[in-house]
Amino acid sequence: MLTLDDVRLTYNGGTSAEVRALRGVTLTIPAGEFVTVVGSNGAGKSSLIKLVAGEERPTSGRVELDGRDVTRLPVHRRARDVARVFDDPRAGSLPELSIEDNLALALSRGQRRRLRFAVGGERRALMRERLAVLGLGLERRLADPVGLLSAGQRQSLTMVMAGLRDPRVLLLDEHLAALDPGTQRRVLELTTAMVRRLGCATVMVTHNMEHAIDVGDRLLVMSRGELIADFSGERKAALSVEALVETIASAGDAVSDRMVLREEAAPAGAGR
Amino acid sequence: MKQLILDTLVTGMPLVTSVIGIWMIFRLREDFDLTVDASFATGGAVTAALLVKGSGVVPAMLVAIAACGAMGLMTAGLHLLLRVPVLLAGVAMSIGFYSVDLAIMGTPSVSLADGGTLFSGFANLSPDQADLATIGVLSAFVLTVLVGLGLFLRTEIGLALRASGVNARMARSQGVNVRVLLCFSLVVANGLAGLSGCLVVQSDGFADVNMGTGTLIAGIGAVLLGELILRPTGSKLLRTMLALLVGALAYRFILVGALRLGLPATDLQAVTALTLVTAIAAERYGRPLLSLLRRRITTIGPPSRAPRAAAGTGGQ
Ligand SMILES: Nc1ncnc2c1ncn2[C@@H]1O[C@H](COP(=O)(O)OP(=O)(O)OP(=O)(O)O)[C@@H](O)[C@H]1O
Ligand SMILES: [Mg+2]
Repeated sequence: MLTLDDVRLTYNGGTSAEVRALRGVTLTIPAGEFVTVVGSNGAGKSSLIKLVAGEERPTSGRVELDGRDVTRLPVHRRARDVARVFDDPRAGSLPELSIEDNLALALSRGQRRRLRFAVGGERRALMRERLAVLGLGLERRLADPVGLLSAGQRQSLTMVMAGLRDPRVLLLDEHLAALDPGTQRRVLELTTAMVRRLGCATVMVTHNMEHAIDVGDRLLVMSRGELIADFSGERKAALSVEALVETIASAGDAVSDRMVLREEAAPAGAGR
Repeated sequence: MKQLILDTLVTGMPLVTSVIGIWMIFRLREDFDLTVDASFATGGAVTAALLVKGSGVVPAMLVAIAACGAMGLMTAGLHLLLRVPVLLAGVAMSIGFYSVDLAIMGTPSVSLADGGTLFSGFANLSPDQADLATIGVLSAFVLTVLVGLGLFLRTEIGLALRASGVNARMARSQGVNVRVLLCFSLVVANGLAGLSGCLVVQSDGFADVNMGTGTLIAGIGAVLLGELILRPTGSKLLRTMLALLVGALAYRFILVGALRLGLPATDLQAVTALTLVTAIAAERYGRPLLSLLRRRITTIGPPSRAPRAAAGTGGQ
């Protein structure tokens, strides 16, 4: 379970460049719940993710994982409980190192690392098994450097890496952004299957309204550092892309073309 | 030619461990640690000072290596606590420790001709045999370090170390404590440079306060040269370790060769600089040229090879 209690985050506080990225977000996501987050550029979605990952510390407020206060814990001390997939496929992997080395690093996420070989027979078998599920043939390329993989292959690999050790919280920040529509669909399927298997609290940030509505149990809308809408159950199922775009636009935010999938869905407020 | 090779090995082998240390920072961390200039000299100075006082070889070397490891820790402290870039911290260390080395030795240079070194036992062999015996002892040190490091980098901790240099943000998100590993690599790198210093003063028979100057630059030249010859990639550790050995010796070979060709010793610095620049240029422009050549050859080559080459590039 992930709990945020009135978290605020101000970048460059006290200077002329001050940005209040989060202005009091309170949120509880129980284990097993899959939450999608939408909002215009600069709404504070990535800031929220960074806060949970430990990359940023809140100016005030508390972050709790399963009731444990982790507000002040650095990234590497939360890694046991938090798995994260970055928006840039390059950010989440080590291009010079082989697929098996990348997977081996993720296999020890949050564990005490020891002086034993990182890649061994048993671990290789597990790696092959997990990669085979992707259907990309990566299980036969364990020794290839990750730099040789396409963006979609890499992002699929980092998804597998995130699921190697059961996390309490899975953070996905626009993890489909760099992929073509076909690959997006495949990696999204992979995402939902993985979330179901892991049963952890999941936060997925996206600019794709259809994805936001179609997957997950709950949908949050952010605007200017605040949560302005929270749909779940039937209300979420009944949402349309138009209604969602309207929700964002009514907060006075510009809606980028990227958010609007179908052309006829473009609302009057789209150009601000 | 035989003498050229013997000279290369006798003078080059002791330098290999410092090249390994420099590689740990230069390639694993993508940074430059000038502290190695200081720790190389300090390793030599401490060893010489202790040996002259009549201490045994083993304790003298252990103390010297530990002192150099501590210097790495100081650089790490400067970097992590005061947020000084590693390069600048290294500059401060290399300047500061000049005075320390002078104080340790008492004079700018100390002779170890009276014996008591690792190699004193070889004094009554013929010159060639003494050289071979010296090379044997040095190789034992170098191989131990190379094999040890190669194995270490394959372990979970070693993998974390490699990851933290390539992509620190990702390594952190996998639970790696990047700061601790930075300290660790600086300690080991400087310890290895110190070991080099220990070996050099004993095989040369004297220590000099200036002996560390240019260690980093020469080391980087050696690393580049090795990479040029063997082209190792991230996960090919055996090849990487071999590249370090080959690079260090090849670099030395060029210097020794220049001396043999009658170049005055005062011109050696220029040769060092030239070799470094050539290695960088070859790294930058030689690779595209080589791959172009290779492509030419595969397209002209037997047809059976063509599909394989196509499949190889298809995956990229
Ligand atoms: N490191 C930083 N320093 C200063 N300001 C920042 C920093 N990171 C983000 N901001 C600011 O905080 C606000 C929220 O940014 P954030 O990245 O959380 O938005 P976002 O919702 O993820 O937007 P996008 O959809 O473009 O990814 C923005 O105004 C941004 O300019
Ligand atoms: Mg963002």
